[in-house]
Amino acid sequence: MPASRPRAPARAPAKTRPARGRAARPAPSTVVDPIEAEVMARHLLATSEEMAATLMRTAFSPNIKERGDCSTAIFDRHGEITALAHRIPMHLGSMVGAVAEILQRHRLEDIRPGDMFMANDPYNGGGTHLPDINVVAPVFVEDRVVAFVANIAHHADVGGMVPGSEAAVCNSIYQEGVRIPPVRIMTAGRLNRDLLDMVLLNSRTPDERVGDLQAQFAANVVGTRGVEMLFSRYGVERTERTIASYMDFTERRFAAAIRKLPRGRFVAEDSIDGDREGELARIRLRLEVGDGTLDFDFSGTDRQIRSSRNIPARAVLATIYTVAQSLLDPGIPANAGFYRTIRFRAPEGTVVNPVAPAAIGCRSVSCAVLGDVVAAALTQALPDKALAGSGPHHLFIFSGTDPRTGAYFVDYETLAGGMGARARRDGMDAVRVHASGASNLPIEALEHVYPLRVERYALRNGSAGAGRYRGGMGVVRDYRILADDIVVSLSSERQHVAARGLEGGGEGARGLFVYNPGQPDERQLPSAAADVPLPRGSVLRICTPGGAGYGPAAERDPAALALDRREARLDAD
Amino acid sequence: MDTLLIGIDTGGTFTDLVLCDTASGRYTYHKLPTSTGEPARAVLDGIAEILQLAGLPPSRVGFLVLGTTLGTNAVLEGKCARTGMITTRGFGDVLELARQRRPHTFNLDIAKPAPPASRERRIEVGGRIAHDGSEVEPLDEAQVRAAVKSLREQGAEAIAICMMHSYANPAHERRAAEIARAAWRGAYLCASSDVLPEFREFERFATTAINASLMPVMDRYLETFERGVSDQGIPVPPRVMQSNGGAVTPLAVRRVPVNTFFSGPAGGVVGCTGLGNEIGVRNQITFDMGGTSTDVCLIRDGQPAKKDQREMAGYPVRTRTIDLHTIGAGGGSIAWVDGGGLLKVGPMSAGAYPGPAAYGRGGTLPTVTDANVLLGRLSPRSLLGGRMAMHPDLARAAIDTALVPRLGVDTVRAAAGILEIINVNMMGAVRVISIEQGVDARDFTLVAFGGAGPLHAADVALDMGITRVLVPPRPGLLSALGLLHADVRGDFSQTCLIAATAGSLQTANAALGQLRARGDAWLAGEAHARARAERTWAADLRYVGQNSELSLPLPSGRVSRPGLRALVEAFHARHREFYGYDMPGQTVELVNLRLTVSVNRKAPPAERRRFGRGSVRDAIVERRAVWFPDTGYVDTPVMARDRLPRDARFSGPAIIEQMDTTTVVPPGTRVHNDRLGYLHLALPRGRGSSGG
Repeated sequence: MPASRPRAPARAPAKTRPARGRAARPAPSTVVDPIEAEVMARHLLATSEEMAATLMRTAFSPNIKERGDCSTAIFDRHGEITALAHRIPMHLGSMVGAVAEILQRHRLEDIRPGDMFMANDPYNGGGTHLPDINVVAPVFVEDRVVAFVANIAHHADVGGMVPGSEAAVCNSIYQEGVRIPPVRIMTAGRLNRDLLDMVLLNSRTPDERVGDLQAQFAANVVGTRGVEMLFSRYGVERTERTIASYMDFTERRFAAAIRKLPRGRFVAEDSIDGDREGELARIRLRLEVGDGTLDFDFSGTDRQIRSSRNIPARAVLATIYTVAQSLLDPGIPANAGFYRTIRFRAPEGTVVNPVAPAAIGCRSVSCAVLGDVVAAALTQALPDKALAGSGPHHLFIFSGTDPRTGAYFVDYETLAGGMGARARRDGMDAVRVHASGASNLPIEALEHVYPLRVERYALRNGSAGAGRYRGGMGVVRDYRILADDIVVSLSSERQHVAARGLEGGGEGARGLFVYNPGQPDERQLPSAAADVPLPRGSVLRICTPGGAGYGPAAERDPAALALDRREARLDAD
Repeated sequence: MDTLLIGIDTGGTFTDLVLCDTASGRYTYHKLPTSTGEPARAVLDGIAEILQLAGLPPSRVGFLVLGTTLGTNAVLEGKCARTGMITTRGFGDVLELARQRRPHTFNLDIAKPAPPASRERRIEVGGRIAHDGSEVEPLDEAQVRAAVKSLREQGAEAIAICMMHSYANPAHERRAAEIARAAWRGAYLCASSDVLPEFREFERFATTAINASLMPVMDRYLETFERGVSDQGIPVPPRVMQSNGGAVTPLAVRRVPVNTFFSGPAGGVVGCTGLGNEIGVRNQITFDMGGTSTDVCLIRDGQPAKKDQREMAGYPVRTRTIDLHTIGAGGGSIAWVDGGGLLKVGPMSAGAYPGPAAYGRGGTLPTVTDANVLLGRLSPRSLLGGRMAMHPDLARAAIDTALVPRLGVDTVRAAAGILEIINVNMMGAVRVISIEQGVDARDFTLVAFGGAGPLHAADVALDMGITRVLVPPRPGLLSALGLLHADVRGDFSQTCLIAATAGSLQTANAALGQLRARGDAWLAGEAHARARAERTWAADLRYVGQNSELSLPLPSGRVSRPGLRALVEAFHARHREFYGYDMPGQTVELVNLRLTVSVNRKAPPAERRRFGRGSVRDAIVERRAVWFPDTGYVDTPVMARDRLPRDARFSGPAIIEQMDTTTVVPPGTRVHNDRLGYLHLALPRGRGSSGG
C-alpha cells in the first residue's frame, strides 16, 4: 500500500460527437452538459442502492441482514469510485483502490463478461480487515469493460485464531483468518467451486458464508444490469466523458467548501491502546489547509504494534473522508472527485500505515479514536462545527454450541458508544461514530438464534461528558449465558484514554467489561481478550464509553440540565 | 340500492368532497379550505354544503367515508398526546437506543428524533417472557399498579404497554392492561401484542407508543365527527379510510389509529384501482404529483402493492399500508446551483405561499412550475380555469437571476434542465416501486393525477420506456373519488418463527386459529358488513438464517401436510424468480402468518361525462410555442378538455387544459379520448431503454 493516495490516470480530452440513441437536442452541444451529468449520477447512485437492497434482502448472517454491515459501489473503468451507496462509511476504504489492485494482477483483455473477483486481504486489494470480503464484477458494453460494480459484506467468520476473525489480541494477520488476494470466484458466469470450497473450509460457519456470498453475487448482477442500461442509453463515450466531468464538478464543490476555511496548520493527537493493558500508541496529525486541498500528515505517529489495533492506510482514508465530509459538506456526492482534494501522508510501519504481516482486525474501534484526531484538527479550522471526542463502540464475539440445536455459532456484535458534543448541540446518545455505522441486532432476534438472554439494554447513566453541550451517552448491556461452552472475545478503545472535551467540556466516561456484576466473584475483564470462558448462568456486562462535552458545564442551559436530572441521565450508573 | 355516497379527502391545504347519487349517476364536487383549528368542523360543514349543493337530503346517504391526515399531521407536528410506557425491566430505553445508527450518516446536525414517550414516562416492571413464549419471571403486578399511578400523576394521557417477546406470549401484557384499566377507568391504552404481534422490539415498541400517543387525539376528533354526522340526519355510521386502502368504523380506528397514516394518498390509489376495473387497465403505476410531494404506487393485476413498514417522524411504524413511495418533489420544488456548479431541484419547496415566481405572490426563486410556464407547457395567462393569473416574466427573471449566470447556459436550457432533473427524480421514485421490486415498468400503464401529474407523466414515461399513459377525467379529485371505491378491510398478522416442516403443523394451525378469531372479533365490530366477508390468508417465509421474508398466499386458514409442501415449493420458486437463485437444501422458516378480512362493496356508477359536440379542431382554444425535449419549441395546439369529442383520436404535440390540471402530449404521441372521458396516451417506444 503506497503512503499517498493513488492518482487517477489522465484521461483523453472530451470530444463532442453526439452520442447515438437519443434525438438531437435543441440545446447547444457543449463539452459536457452539467444537467445530463446530474441525471447520470443519480442513475448510478440509484443502481448502487438497488444493489445494497438486494444484498441485504438475500443475505444469511444476522450481521449483514439485520445490522446492514455491507456496502455497494460503482467504479469507472479506471477504478475510480463514481457512486457509493451509503451504508458503512468504513467500507469506502475497502473500495478505494480495489479495482486498481485487480487490474494490477489481471490483464484487462483477460477479463470476460460474467467474471467476478473476490478479495479480502488489506495488503492485497481486499478490504480493511479480513472479514470484509469484496466481490467485484466488470461491466461490458460493446465488447469492452466500461465500469466495475462491487460490493462488500462483513462475514461473521473467515477463520483464524479467534471466532469472528477479529480480536485485538491477534499479533499477526495470519492469525486473523484466510487471506484472499483478488481472484476469480466466477469465470464467465460460472462459479469457481474449488476456490469457494477452500474459503468455506476456513470458516467456522460455512453455511452462512455460502448464503452471504450468493447474496453478494446477486447484488453485482443487479448492478451490472443498471450500469449497462445507462451506457447503452447514452453511448459509451458520452457516458464516460460525462461521468468524468461529474467527478470534476464534485471536486470543485468540495474544494469550494475547503476554501472557506482559514489556511494554515492544525495539529492534534490522541492515543489508542497498545499491546499490553495500559500501554498506548500515539496518533499524531498535522493538518495543512491549502488552496482547496486538505493535507493530512501523520508523521510522528507511533510505530505499528503487535496487536490488531493497527489501521491499514485505506481505513485511515475512509475515516478522513468521512469526518471531512461530515464537518465540511455532508451532502457532497460520494465519488472520487471529492477524494482528490484530500492528501494523506503516513510513514510506513506506523499504526496508521502498517506493513504486512501486522494484524489489523480491530481497526474499526481504533478508527473511532483516529476520527477524533481528524475532527480535533478540523475543529480548529472550523470552530462552528466543532466536534468533541466520541465514545467508540465495543466489539464482542460470543461463540460456542447452542444446546437447543447442537450447532456451533458465532455471534459477532458491536455496541455503540456516544457521540461527542458539538459547538451548538449535545452529542447524540447511543450511536456509532465517525466511519463506523452498523446497526444493532434486535434482542428478540438475538435470543432466537443464540443461547444468550439479554437482561438489560439501556442508555448508560452518568456516561456523558459534562459541558455547555453534553456528550452523547454510552450504552450498558447485560448478557446472561445459557450454554455450557461459551467463550467471548473482547475488543475496545477508550477504556484507558477517555474522550476529550472541547473548550472546557468534560471527558466522556470510559468503557468497561465486567464479569458477574454485583456477585461475589465480580471482576473487571481486560479491555482486550480472546476466548474468555463464560460458564452457564454467568453474566457479562458491557459498558460503552460516552462522548465528551463542549464548553464549561456551568454554562449549560438550566432547563436542559433540569431535564437531564429528571430523566436520571446524570445519575451514577 | 339508490343511495348517496360521499367521499371526503382532507388534505393539508384543501378538503375535497365528492357526492355520487347512485340513482341518477350524477356527481357533485366541492372544495373548501381545511381548517386546522377544529378539523372535524370543516369536514362537517363540507358535508352539509355538498348535500345542499346537490339538493339532496341527508337521510339518503348510504355510505360516507373520510380520508384524513390527522394522525400523520399530529405526529409530524409533534401534537400527539403525552404518552407513558410500561415495559420489561432492563428495556426502558429501547425507543432511544433505536438501531444505534445516526439519523444521517454524514449530516451530524440532524438530531435523533424525540421519542413518543419521554424517559421519565417510561417505567420498567419485573417479569420476563423468553423467545419461545415461556415465562422466565412472573409479572410484578404491584409494580404495574405503581407505574400506572405514577404515569397518571405525571399527566400522561395515554399508555403503551410494551414487553419483551409479547408476540410469542401476550400474557404479561394482557394482565398489565387489565390492571391498568382497573386502576384508571377509561384510560387510553394499548398493548404491543394487540397493535403488532411481530418480533423485533424496537419496531414493535415504536409502533405501539406512536399508536398510544394518537389515541386521545383521534378519539376526540372522531367523537365530534361521528356526532356531527348523526346530528345532520345521516342514518349510517361514517367510515374512515385506513392506510391499507380499506374503510372501517371509527371504533376500529380508535383502537389502532396508527392504521390511518397515509389514509389520504391511499384514496388516490384506491381510485386508480377502481378506475382500472372500470376500463380494464389492471396493471398500473399511479403517479400523483402535487405541489410539494409526489406519490407513486404499483398496481398489479388490480391489486395495489402493500408494505409493512413506514417511517414517521424518524420512527418506524409497522402497519400494513398501500406501498406508496413518496418523494419530496413537486411543482413547487425550487431549483438551485450547488457549490460545484451543478443544477439541483428540491428538496426545498416554495409551497403555496409565496409559491412559484410565476404566481406573482412575491416568490423569487425558480421552481418547476416556473420552468413549465417558461417552456409553454403551462398557460402563460392563467390557471384554475382563469382564477389565478400567471406571470411568465417573473418566471423568466427568477431563472435568469438564480441559474443562468452560474450554469453558463441560456434561459431555455436552464428551464429544460429543471424539467429533466425533476423527471429523473420522478423516474427514481417509479424505479423504487417497480424495478427494485423486480417488476418491469414497461409492462404497466402510468396513471397520472394530482395537479402536476399529467404535466410530467409523458416525459417520465418516455424516459422509462413506458408506452401507455392514462389521464382520468378529474385528475385533481381522484383521491376523493377513490374513497367511494373503498372496501371494508382489516389486516392481521402473527409471528410464528417455526420451521416449515410437518412437525410444525400443529403450531401453525393454532396460530391461524388465533388469527381467525381476531379477524372475527374485528368483523363483528364492523356491524352489518358481516355476511359477505372474504378472508385471504398468507404466510411470510424465508430460508432459516435469512432476514427478509417473501409473502406467499395460503389457500385457506388451515394448512395440511401436502399444503405445507406446496407452500415451501412455491417459496423456492419465488426466491428464484426474485433473486435469481434458490437453496433447495436449506430449511424454510415460517415467520409470519397473515389474514386479510375484506367486505367488497358494489362499485359506484360511472359518471356521465361532458363531451364536445364538434371535432377535435373545435376543441382548440389557441396555439402557442411549447418546448419538448426531443424537438425544442414547436407550435402546438392548446385544447380545452371538456370540448374534446367522445371517442376522439388525434396526435401530439398538444396541450390539453382543464380546471384542475394540464396534460402535456409530446410530438408523435397518439391520444384517444375514450367513451368515458379518459385520455389514453400511446407514446413511441422513446428514449427510455429502461426496464432494467
